Amino acid sequence: MVADTVATRPESGWLRRTKDDMDDALFIDGVTKRFGPVLAVDDFSMRVPQGTICGFLGQNGAGKTTTLRMVMSILYPDSGTLRVLGRSPEAIKDRLGYLPEEKGLYKKMTAGEMLAYFARLKGMPGREARRRAHDLLSELGLGDWVGKRCEALSKGMGQKVQVLGTLIHEPDLVILDEPFSGLDPVNVEVMRELILRMRREGRTVIFSTHVMAQAEQLCDTIVLIHRGRKLIDGPLAEVKASGERGILLDYDGDGAVLENLPGVLRINDAGKQAELHLEENADPQAILERLVAARLTIRRFDLREPSLHEIFVRAVGGEAHV
Amino acid sequence: MFRSAGSPARALLVAGREVHENVRTKTFWIGILSVPVLVILAIAVPILIEMGRGPRDLTVVDRSGWVLGAVEAEMTDADRSRFALVPPPEGDEAGVLAELNRRVVDGDLFAYFVVGADPVADGTVRYVSSNLTDEGPRRWFVDAASAAVRDRRLAQEEISAELAEWIQAPLEVEARTLGAAGEEEDVGVDDYARQWAPVAFVYLLWISIFAISQMLLTNTIEEKSNRIMEVLLSSLSPLELMAGKVLGIAATGLIMVLSWLAFAGVAVSLVPAAVTEQVGELGSVVTDPRYVLSFVVYFLLGYLFYAGLLVAVGSVCSTLKEAQGLQTPVVIVIMVPLLAMVPIAQDPNGLLARILSFIPPFTPFVMMNRAAGPPALWEYAVTTVLLVLAVAFVLWAAAKVFRVGVLMTGKPPRLGEMLRWVRAPVGGVADDD
Repeated sequence: MVADTVATRPESGWLRRTKDDMDDALFIDGVTKRFGPVLAVDDFSMRVPQGTICGFLGQNGAGKTTTLRMVMSILYPDSGTLRVLGRSPEAIKDRLGYLPEEKGLYKKMTAGEMLAYFARLKGMPGREARRRAHDLLSELGLGDWVGKRCEALSKGMGQKVQVLGTLIHEPDLVILDEPFSGLDPVNVEVMRELILRMRREGRTVIFSTHVMAQAEQLCDTIVLIHRGRKLIDGPLAEVKASGERGILLDYDGDGAVLENLPGVLRINDAGKQAELHLEENADPQAILERLVAARLTIRRFDLREPSLHEIFVRAVGGEAHV
Repeated sequence: MFRSAGSPARALLVAGREVHENVRTKTFWIGILSVPVLVILAIAVPILIEMGRGPRDLTVVDRSGWVLGAVEAEMTDADRSRFALVPPPEGDEAGVLAELNRRVVDGDLFAYFVVGADPVADGTVRYVSSNLTDEGPRRWFVDAASAAVRDRRLAQEEISAELAEWIQAPLEVEARTLGAAGEEEDVGVDDYARQWAPVAFVYLLWISIFAISQMLLTNTIEEKSNRIMEVLLSSLSPLELMAGKVLGIAATGLIMVLSWLAFAGVAVSLVPAAVTEQVGELGSVVTDPRYVLSFVVYFLLGYLFYAGLLVAVGSVCSTLKEAQGLQTPVVIVIMVPLLAMVPIAQDPNGLLARILSFIPPFTPFVMMNRAAGPPALWEYAVTTVLLVLAVAFVLWAAAKVFRVGVLMTGKPPRLGEMLRWVRAPVGGVADDD
């Protein structure tokens, strides 16, 4: 059924079905989901190879959470095909780990009991669940908290326990919905480390975010969704290479000279730092010469690929505010 | 890697967690202990107060010269433990009454009586006290004095005591009841107990179902505000989650209710039947398997019905305040059998009782209420089938509301919208492996 659907779809490149498709951790094809009159996800397709980290990017309300909930079989698509680890989402629920954006713990349960409960819901035998809860908490420096109630945990510790809850049953695919939202810088680092560790352990990770910099640092592939439709997807390097080049400029002096530079499409000028977006055939050397001639003090002149942020803003036109 | 937890296993896991968490709360133990404690207090406090305050001082100004003596002669030890007769002060009558008034006002004296010079002719006694709610002293003295005066009147009219007793004797009632085959049987105290015992069971059933389904409602809302629902739904289906919660709270509630019943059973067995025959008979009713079994069955079915309604309400609300508005219709419905309880007990097979029996939200209470009737076997069968169908429908509809509701935030939907969720099909991706 999946093969037929895919063969008749005029998708190209990234989504084209290959002999390795059965190894995809996630394969979504032409999925649509409506809530009454609201079209939340519109003919959406994506695939995530196993063992990779995929960034699922989009503004708030773009359809990220709805898509991820369909992957977790919390919601069902109105139409389209959805395969997780080569099977239907419901059949494979125990092999998935999920950290929703809205997450919490039972306040009166101890951290150890809580994790063991999550593991048992995924089918792990009770004794093993308790042992693994203890081991995981100890590994993350929370060994002293095994027998403490969740209400006594600090916010950061609670979030660690929540992430461990998605890992305790050793899932093949981990889905994290906005895992960085509300975290302080220290915990952002802890979360980054956990995501990288998941990949090292051979798991596939999909995380949604509207903060492009996080995706840029972590992802092997990205999928960009806007108003329920896919705008861009593919390996991060390819996506970035396909975008327009730019120059990151740190300077002192009169920024008026930045106007009307040859080969520059747009400028984001912050006063001391500016991003120059270049036309395809622009000559960075000529631009540098113009700036030197105008006696601008240049502290940095960095020719680089576009940031994901820039790619995202361009892709969604003037509507994005990320 | 692990064996997948099947649907019943997951639901039971959720139920087990609910029970485990609930039995660790203070509310649970307060709930278990409150009923026995309240019952014991209700019985013990008046006795302790009576025992603790000692005899109340009473004075009798006896102008007749013989009533006080007759009363004193008839005083039992029990009377002496409750009342002490204090002689009036010396002096002229006006002075004596003024002094007695002062003593009553100061609290030195509970009350005083003034018996007229010829109580046989005028038949009045004056009673002065500042406490009119405690009628014990007045009732005791007036009864004793009246007996003395009655004896004098009989003697004066030369009527023998036997004749007087015969004249005053009420008609004797020989109560008979009809058994199942129409044969006449004696009516004993236990028959009255059996007639009214269902009312006690209905009260207990009503309180249990109402309290426990409310527990489910608040538990669902708390869990929603804990933001744990979506994490759970990544491991189990909404139906499994709902079934687990409903079962877990039912088990918690059943533990409470059965502990109350066990308390009632133990309490009545400890009271010697010889002391209070009624209580002894009541004990046999309380432990009657017919009542206990139907109580448990109706508790489970009734609870499942109202639990379905309230878990759906809880799933769409984020605060208890929102839930109060949405659950009002449910509360109104569950009040009906409570209001109809006494009329049904008086006429268990009447039209009202029969009609209400066939309306599923009322069936558990009304059929329990009619147990003394008892209703015909076919009525038990038909009403139970209707109730089971209604429970199945309510739980099915509740699961559909719950599925959408638990992930909702913000204002709760209107009833119409919830009904639309019930009618809408659940989309799904078939597992074609």
